[in-house]
Amino acid sequence: MESATNHQAQAPPLHDDVGKLPSGSTPAITAPSQRIIRWFQTLTIEQRVLTGFSLVFVGILIISAISYHNTNGLLRNSGLDGRSHALIQLLGSIDAAMGEAEGTHRRYLVTGEQAYLEAYKRVIAQKPTFTTYLNELTQDSPEQQRRAGELNRLMERQASAESKAITHVQERGIQSVRKMALEGAGRRELDGIHQIISEMDVYERQALNRRVIESAASTRHTIMLLAVGAGLQLVLLASVYYLIRHDITERRRVAGELQRRGELLEAANKELEAFSYSVSHDLRAPLRHIDGYAALLRKTVDQSLNEKAARYLQTISDSAKQMGQLIDDLLVFSRMGRQDMLQTTVNMDQLIKSILSDLRLDLHGRQISWTIASLPEVKGDPSMLRQVFMNLLTNALKFTSTKPMASIEIGVEPPGSDEVVVYVRDNGVGFDMQYAPKLFGVFQRLHRADEFEGTGIGLANVRRIVHRHGGRAWADGMLDKGATFYVALPRGGIKG
Amino acid sequence: MTIAKPIVLAEDNPRDAELALAAMEEEHISDKVVLCHDGAEVLDYLYCRGHFKTRLKGNPAVVFLDLKMPKVNGLEVLRTIKADTNLRAIPVVMLTSSREERDLAESYTLGANAYVVKPVEFQQFLSAVKELGVFWGVINEPPPERACSHQ
Repeated sequence: MESATNHQAQAPPLHDDVGKLPSGSTPAITAPSQRIIRWFQTLTIEQRVLTGFSLVFVGILIISAISYHNTNGLLRNSGLDGRSHALIQLLGSIDAAMGEAEGTHRRYLVTGEQAYLEAYKRVIAQKPTFTTYLNELTQDSPEQQRRAGELNRLMERQASAESKAITHVQERGIQSVRKMALEGAGRRELDGIHQIISEMDVYERQALNRRVIESAASTRHTIMLLAVGAGLQLVLLASVYYLIRHDITERRRVAGELQRRGELLEAANKELEAFSYSVSHDLRAPLRHIDGYAALLRKTVDQSLNEKAARYLQTISDSAKQMGQLIDDLLVFSRMGRQDMLQTTVNMDQLIKSILSDLRLDLHGRQISWTIASLPEVKGDPSMLRQVFMNLLTNALKFTSTKPMASIEIGVEPPGSDEVVVYVRDNGVGFDMQYAPKLFGVFQRLHRADEFEGTGIGLANVRRIVHRHGGRAWADGMLDKGATFYVALPRGGIKG
Repeated sequence: MTIAKPIVLAEDNPRDAELALAAMEEEHISDKVVLCHDGAEVLDYLYCRGHFKTRLKGNPAVVFLDLKMPKVNGLEVLRTIKADTNLRAIPVVMLTSSREERDLAESYTLGANAYVVKPVEFQQFLSAVKELGVFWGVINEPPPERACSHQ
């Protein structure tokens, strides 16, 4: 059973492999190029342009190196050509000179004329020069050098045979060298010399021809390489240009889009402003009327009003007032979101002092133990930050009102790296930490309206202002054990 | 307590007007109040024309201006008053629902003498209007009269 399942399990992959093998080669070839394309797509525009220019640079380097190499070869060849021509000429001279040496020495042997001896000596005197040149001009080719050695040796032998014959004739007279004089002392060597010289000549001419063909081919290659290289560079530069142009077009489009959206946003903001202006003006009026007419009604029917009716009238007034407060708070909330922000240094000590002085009516008749630390200066909008701490202190006062002895602390956390954290701590009714995320929402309240009054906008305002300053706001608390509200502001003010 | 000069109250909302008059009534100065229902009427009164062609010459003790009014709004009336050498001296008090900073700034720039936000609470509204009426209409000494040179 087990083996059967194994077999079955193995079978399909086998078939698969067989089926895939022929077609599998195509993806294997395209994979690297696809990988390069994918890699290229991960690059930023700057990296792409840099890659493009690097390729162009490398291409120029390669073309320059090859051209340099080819030109060097051409120069070397033309140097070699010069030497070849010199060598061919030299060989001709040697051939002629050695022939002449043979001829003059033989004539001297036969005639004993001093003039022939002189001529012979003049010719043979050139031999060391010939040897030097020969060695020099055959340096580059070992084969020619070998032949040159042979040639030198033959020349040496011819000269020595001839000089021996001359010495002989001077010592023993013409008869002793008669046979030699007819044949020539170095006749055999001269034949060898002729042969070697013609070999060398042929070899050198072949080499010349070969080099001419080589040079022509090399020049053609260089020209082709330059043409292909220039073409490639053009293609590369064109792609880089396309990349840059594409990027610029894209940027322009994005900038245009941003501007368009900015204008839309501005229009929307203006509309919102007009809206809140209407709210501020038109929504307040009916509330004022409700409260006003309720008061006038109370005044008019004062005598005949029973307790219940008086309470109804009071409720009408209270509701109108509450809604008025709600509208005011909402307007502040909306204003804090769109108002232009100032960016100045705010002295927190003075800010808290002025807030407490504004709150002195609320402090009247309250038992409060204050702990106020020396506070740092922060960067921000003074009136907005005032709103933040006004809200936090009003809250602290409100939620400690049920305690016989309230304790409120304003402090600052130990200086951190880039934030100033100021907190307001109270020993009031506190809150359950599970509701902490709701605290800063608009219209979010954790207490019933008859426990503590309020519209539920204060902390939303705090968070909105702190966010606009690039900071954070959060709270810590425990039911019946008080609460701490933290405001963290960036030390250097908001960036940008 | 006698008031020599009338008080001009520009208020397009009849309920607000009634409540304001009720407040003035308590101080017995309501009979001196001239009620205008829009900015155009205020200008008619000041320039002794239209409905007010036959009125007694002389500038009012004070003009209470609402910001949002039909035809000619409060800021336009204010601009006209403060641009006219004969009217410039008349005290103008903006009495409005708007607490917008822009309105406040513009009113004072144009030369408003006071800016009062109408409180929602009636008692506060009552005392505000009463105090304003008494202060500007009775306590405050209006500027010396220049003959109404209009028509």
